[in-house]
This record gives sequence, structure tokens and C-alpha cells, in this order.
Amino acid sequence: MAEQGVTRFEQVVLPHLDDAYTLACYLLRDQHDAQDAVQESVLRALRYFEGFRGEDARAWLLAIVRNYCYSWKKGSKSDQGAVPFADDKAVDIADEHAADDLAIQSSESDRVRAAVDRLPAELKEVIVLRELNELSYREISEVVGVPMGTVMSRLSRARERLAAALGADSRKAS
Amino acid sequence: MTCADCLENLGPFIDGELPVVEAALVESHLKSCQDCAAAHRRLVETSSQVKGALTRYRAPDVLKARIRASLADAGTEALSQPVLMATPRGRVWPRIVAAAAAVAIVSSALTFASLNRSPSADPLQQEVLNSHIRSLMPGHLTDVASNDQHNVKPWFNGRVDVSPAVPRLDSIGFPLLGGRLDYVEGRNVAAVVYGRRQHMINVFSWPAAAQGDLAPAVSSANGYNFIRARRNGVEVWIVSDLNLRELEDFAERFREASAR
Repeated sequence: MAEQGVTRFEQVVLPHLDDAYTLACYLLRDQHDAQDAVQESVLRALRYFEGFRGEDARAWLLAIVRNYCYSWKKGSKSDQGAVPFADDKAVDIADEHAADDLAIQSSESDRVRAAVDRLPAELKEVIVLRELNELSYREISEVVGVPMGTVMSRLSRARERLAAALGADSRKAS
Repeated sequence: MTCADCLENLGPFIDGELPVVEAALVESHLKSCQDCAAAHRRLVETSSQVKGALTRYRAPDVLKARIRASLADAGTEALSQPVLMATPRGRVWPRIVAAAAAVAIVSSALTFASLNRSPSADPLQQEVLNSHIRSLMPGHLTDVASNDQHNVKPWFNGRVDVSPAVPRLDSIGFPLLGGRLDYVEGRNVAAVVYGRRQHMINVFSWPAAAQGDLAPAVSSANGYNFIRARRNGVEVWIVSDLNLRELEDFAERFREASAR
């Protein structure tokens, strides 16, 4: 009976669980944490549902998931491996050391995944939102909370870095 | 179009985000400029490499089951938070609250009915049912949440007098959700939790007081189904609101997998 009551919410929000889970997996790098994050985010979404204007449920939910993941990471102590948010200097995937690490990865897709994982959070999230979730620039700008121009430049920087990392790596391998 | 303009617009171009007119300009520039065309190819390749290598995850059934359960709980909680009704902008809250009220009325009627039940009703079944319902409340489902039997089974060591069977049944659509310590008939019992779509299945077990095995027996109450059995000195109760056919299937697979 309660299920009937939340029917509209379920119809609007639950079709996007795969997208939400995918984003959380990439932001948190842990499938169990991602499950918890998505569950909590959906409950948050239910609380905020009244304020939802019915435009783009997917972007709306992903924005909640994203915020939840970042507040989670901030609070988590066991997160030493994670890349600090918006810190461009932290990781330069094209440097030699990183390229050595990448070369250890066996398959092509492992190398790509590792390269994506090494991106600073602000670049990684736009790559995931664009290439995996296939959001438009406008939707990404909604999720991330930055202007579309910023989405565009971050996406471009992210792709440059990935191209450099993968290119450097394949030169090294050959 | 200059090369600088072209390169700046390559990203939006491959993402289909450029207006038609500008996209046409980029396209014609790419035909005439080899450098920009190379940059374009490189960008397309990077993008498709990433698309091809990264996994689009599917939300696991376990997660969907947990979410549906917590949404049902949230609907019930809404009843105790009338503040949510104060802003009737959308239609959903009144509906949730109305539905939650209906649930509350029905369930309190059920509680009332069960309290007033004749002594001939099985008190043990009622206790098991109460534990099952309590486990569905927020934060009560599992003490150890894991879909790995090797995390769940050892967790029970020293907590209960029985080492419960924790077979993996994901492959047949019953994902393991975790384990929990519960209390039935004045003793600690092991509860192992499985999911099936939005349904939860609790498998309670404790050392049998009586001798001899008992074949599985089926019963139902308040819309929940029960399958009880006694094997090798262990009482096992399986409880769920899952339909009986699937629950029997689960019980059978659970028994087979535990015997291995």
C-alpha cells in the first residue's frame, strides 16, 4: 500500500538507478559503498521530491548522488588513495611514474580505466557523466553545478589528459 | 573558420552539442585541414576508447530490494512527520501519507488481531513473524551487510550456538544481503537475509530442542509465508512475503546448497 503511495516517485526516479549506481561506483571506487550511497541518495531524493519540478529526473537524481558521494568521501578516513577534489596538481597522469604503473595493466581497457581513475575528481566526473551516463552538456552542468562553458573546458582537459596518458603508454609499450 | 576556432569546438562537435550551422563549419574545415582532422580523429578515438573500456554498471537486485524496502519504510515514517503535509505543492506527499495511514491502520489491525488471537495459534510462528517484520524497519535488516558468504558465516561465530548455513544463491536470483543476530523464544538466533526482487527473505536458525528431523512444513499468516524444518539438530524457519511457490523454490535450493 505504501508502495502505491510512492508510485509516482518510483516511476520518476527508479528508472535511473543504473545511472546513479554507475556514477557512484566511479566516484567512490567501491561497489558496496556505491550501493549505500545510492540507497541514501534515493531516500534524500524522496525527501526533496516535493521541490522537484519535473524537468530532468535523471540529472536531478545524479546531482544528489554526486553530492552524497563527495560528502561521503570527505567524511571517510580510509580514503587516502582518492584524488583530492579540484586539485589539478595532485595527479599528472602523463608523468613517467604513472605511465609505468599504467604499463603494468594487462589489457587495453584496464589501461583506460586506470587512466580515468587517475583523473582529478572534477575531470573524472564529467568524463563519466558524458561517456557513460551520456548526459548532455546542459545536464552535466546541472549535475555538477557549473556553467556549460566550464563543463566544456573540463571535458576537453579530461580528454587531453586521457589521450596523452594512453598515447604515451602505447608508445612505451611498442 | 580558423584552426583555433575549430580545435576549440571539436569536443562539442563530437558530442553533438554544436548548433547545426557551426557544426557544418567545423565539418568543412576538417575536410580542408589535415592537422585539425588528425586532432579530430584522436579525440574521437579517445572518446570511444573510454566508452568501450568503462563499465556501465547495473544496479544490483540487492540494491533495488533494499531501496524498495526503505521506500516502503519511508512511506510509513511520513505518517509520523505531519510537517511534510504542510506544503501541499505536489500531490505525492498526501498520497504517501494516505497510503502510509492505510498501512498503519491495517497493520495495527493485524497486530490487534494477532494479539487477540486464540491461544491455539502458533506462538513461535508469531515470534518469528515479529522478528521478520522488525528486521524490515530501517537499519534493522542486517548486522553484517555483505553479499559474500565468507564474510557472513564467520560473523556468527561466538554469537549464536549454531553455525548457520549461508549458501550463495545469487545465480538463481536470491542475492545474499547479510546476517543478523535476532532473538526468538528467549534465545539468540541466527538470521541470514536474502533478497528476491523487492522481497526480503529471513532464514532463522537455532539449535533444536527436540530430537529427529522434521520435513519442511508450510504455513502462512498476515500475508507472510513460513517454511519450517528441522535437520541435523537445527531448527530452520524461512519467512517472507514472497509468494509461496518461489519461497518453496528458495527453501529447496537453500537446503540443497547447504547440504553440499
